[in-house]
Amino acid sequence: MSTPLIKIRTGNQMIAEGALHAGCQFFAGYPITPASGIYKSMIEELPKHNGVAISSPDEISALAYCIGASARGAKAMTATSGPGWSLMIETVQYALMTELPVVIAVVQRLGPSTGGATQGAQGDILLTEYCTSGAYTIPIFAPSTAEECFEVTSLAMFWAEELRTPVIVLSDKEIGMMSEDVDFDSLVSSPINYRRQPNNDTTNVYKTYDFKSLADIPLFSPVGGENKATITGSAHDKGGSLQKNSPETIEVLRHLQIKITSRAGEMAFVKTDDDPNADTLIISFGITARTAREAVKRAREQGMHVRLVNVISLFPIPETLLKKAAEGVHTVFVAEENLTGQYRSVIQHLFTGKLVIGINSFGKMITPNDILECTTL
Amino acid sequence: MTTVEPKTFLKDSVAFPFCKGCGHHHYVHNLDRALSSLQLDPKKVCIVSDIGCIGILDSLFISPHTFHTTHGRSTAFATGVELADGILNDSKLKTVVVIGDGGATIGLLHVVNAALMNVDVTVLVANNMLYGMTGGQNSGFSPLEFITPTTPEGNIVPPMDICAMIKSCGAEYVTSISATDKNLTTVIADAIAHPGFALVEIVELCTEFAIGKNKIDGKTIQTMADQHNAATLPTTFKRKEFCEEYKSKVLGRPLKIKNDALTQKYISSLRGSRRWVIAGTAGEKVQLSSYLLMRAGILCGLHATQKNDNPVTQGSGFSLSEVVLSADDIYYTGIDVPDVVIISSAEGLKEVTVNGTLSRSNNQTVIIMEDSLPEILTPAKMYRVPLRSLCTPQRATTSAVAAFIANELMIPLEAMIDSIQMHVGEKVALYEEDIKKILPLLS
Ligand code: SF4
Ligand SMILES: [Mg+2]
Repeated sequence: MSTPLIKIRTGNQMIAEGALHAGCQFFAGYPITPASGIYKSMIEELPKHNGVAISSPDEISALAYCIGASARGAKAMTATSGPGWSLMIETVQYALMTELPVVIAVVQRLGPSTGGATQGAQGDILLTEYCTSGAYTIPIFAPSTAEECFEVTSLAMFWAEELRTPVIVLSDKEIGMMSEDVDFDSLVSSPINYRRQPNNDTTNVYKTYDFKSLADIPLFSPVGGENKATITGSAHDKGGSLQKNSPETIEVLRHLQIKITSRAGEMAFVKTDDDPNADTLIISFGITARTAREAVKRAREQGMHVRLVNVISLFPIPETLLKKAAEGVHTVFVAEENLTGQYRSVIQHLFTGKLVIGINSFGKMITPNDILECTTL
Repeated sequence: MTTVEPKTFLKDSVAFPFCKGCGHHHYVHNLDRALSSLQLDPKKVCIVSDIGCIGILDSLFISPHTFHTTHGRSTAFATGVELADGILNDSKLKTVVVIGDGGATIGLLHVVNAALMNVDVTVLVANNMLYGMTGGQNSGFSPLEFITPTTPEGNIVPPMDICAMIKSCGAEYVTSISATDKNLTTVIADAIAHPGFALVEIVELCTEFAIGKNKIDGKTIQTMADQHNAATLPTTFKRKEFCEEYKSKVLGRPLKIKNDALTQKYISSLRGSRRWVIAGTAGEKVQLSSYLLMRAGILCGLHATQKNDNPVTQGSGFSLSEVVLSADDIYYTGIDVPDVVIISSAEGLKEVTVNGTLSRSNNQTVIIMEDSLPEILTPAKMYRVPLRSLCTPQRATTSAVAAFIANELMIPLEAMIDSIQMHVGEKVALYEEDIKKILPLLS
């Protein structure tokens, strides 16, 4: 019998562990509470694994360094929080447009502006997802435990490489900075992959953004590689030439969305704590999903029939799974630590004919009692 | 003797998109000639440009890699390329940044940082003293009295001398030259060949927006270039390029495996959970005591969480930790009603008052509080202990935690002693003394 491998780790440290496990080779970062733990761990650990981890003078540089490294072929990651994320947005859009994989861990804190550096929040859901001109779908995965930080980061690295696109790990201050016991033997990870590359036959001229069907992922060839790479953030044709609105360019722009949404089913990931007789559904994610689990445990002790869905893949919205989870229930509660119910606002249309109620909190964690009080009304 | 025919990196017969007479024509031709003269494999050249008239030169090149980026940020992207190339691939890719004075104004920090790092990136600044593409607005490079659409009375802010600035960052190859200078090809080639950061300011004219209203000609431009060359450069190259430095000093740092894995050694009789709040003063090992408690719990097969809180300046004011130990998985990580509260100082007391810990305490809560602090009204079971004088402020919270454990017997004291010993070695004896002194005061 092997002895269990329990270590004390923060969620931030487990994001770094997950990235290392997934073969991350490049990290550039700028310190910001509550994400600095990721930066610190990567600076400590990545060079030991022959990777590059460096500090940058600001967040724009941090992400630009990562995208540059990704263009040269490195699996890259950075980490930040709300204020830094705001600075990175132009560069995230650039990564999306140029189809360069990168993982960004956004550890939420209270906003707006500098807000509360050491105050938890789940208020950057919409800012993170809808940060692009044109509101393209950016895959976002949210962990609710330190172990899930590992799992979700490995998953994010997988999808970033698989789809050639930026992918977000959306954590929060509580998950990021809290230490807990982590069983390293039970960690779950995704396959380790690398963006698909062209083979060396030279019969076809390499085109940086070539695809046949809109959902195809262009083959990746790095700058400095054997094929001439033509990378541009401007509207372009499949060869990377700047174009205004030629049919081919519009096709490329549509492809940027379709390549992601066509794989939504595969990315859909929720963890369900089921009661087959449930008449009530609670949907939550991140730190609040843990609290909801406690609330559900207590509610069941009181004889209630509740189903809990912890949404890991916030975006693309796992519509089919959420609709299925709502079958047979009359009320859907969405618990999240922000003022207006951001995630609820984008999923409530899935539950026509049902009562959809938000459980929200601002500037403090939602407690199991907050949830119980709402659900037992 | 055979001479290698210099071949162009540019597309055949593609007209340049620049206005008639624009200095960018010289810039592009000379860059192309420089690349050819170095006989570089185009697959080993990456041209990184950004927004601005000069930035669209990427479409003119047929063979080298091109990387057209966001406004002013090209140097940062190029730095990323070069770091991945020099450290992870070692393929000696030549990374050339093509940027205007507008872009360099926006992204000055990226240029400064690349120079400070001495990363092998060559920055060629096309300085025509204004933002051409967006309508001729003044930039940080516009001379005094320069008339532009945004400085109709003449510019009243002096221009930066990017050469002086970048020299001050320790760059060893920095120069300024007129776009029509016959040495331009050689200067660009030398800059690219330089095995570290290099910057060339190429002073030119925007025929669309600069001339007409301004008295400016070849001589003015030459004077400007000469002035920017005034600051002296080192005569020998002393600095190691960043990637080389990183490879020798940071990469492959010995893999010290931190063996901090824990396995269960003790048995706890705890059912359900215990929620602790430990509060004191920064620098007095409050968060350490919580960590040791957490570790002790895990040594007993319990689950544990720990959250720390302190003011934004980490080394002063209060320090507070919340620890949950539980026989079951911990879902909710907050503390509604604390089971145990330890308060070792006035700062700690103030914080548990402000953050609501005290008001959430009930008659099941046990508080162990430093004796010298003022009375508080609480339904909790209160023990007043002179922690600071009995144990020293540094050991106060850890010894109080251990004494509570010894008194309550839910967790074997050995587990806590194990943790303390792991941290302080032989000095554990001092803590054992403390515990003996505190224990009688807890009954
Ligand atoms: S606007 Fe000025 S900088 Fe731009 S191409 Fe015309 S002359 Fe050159
Ligand atoms: Mg200009």
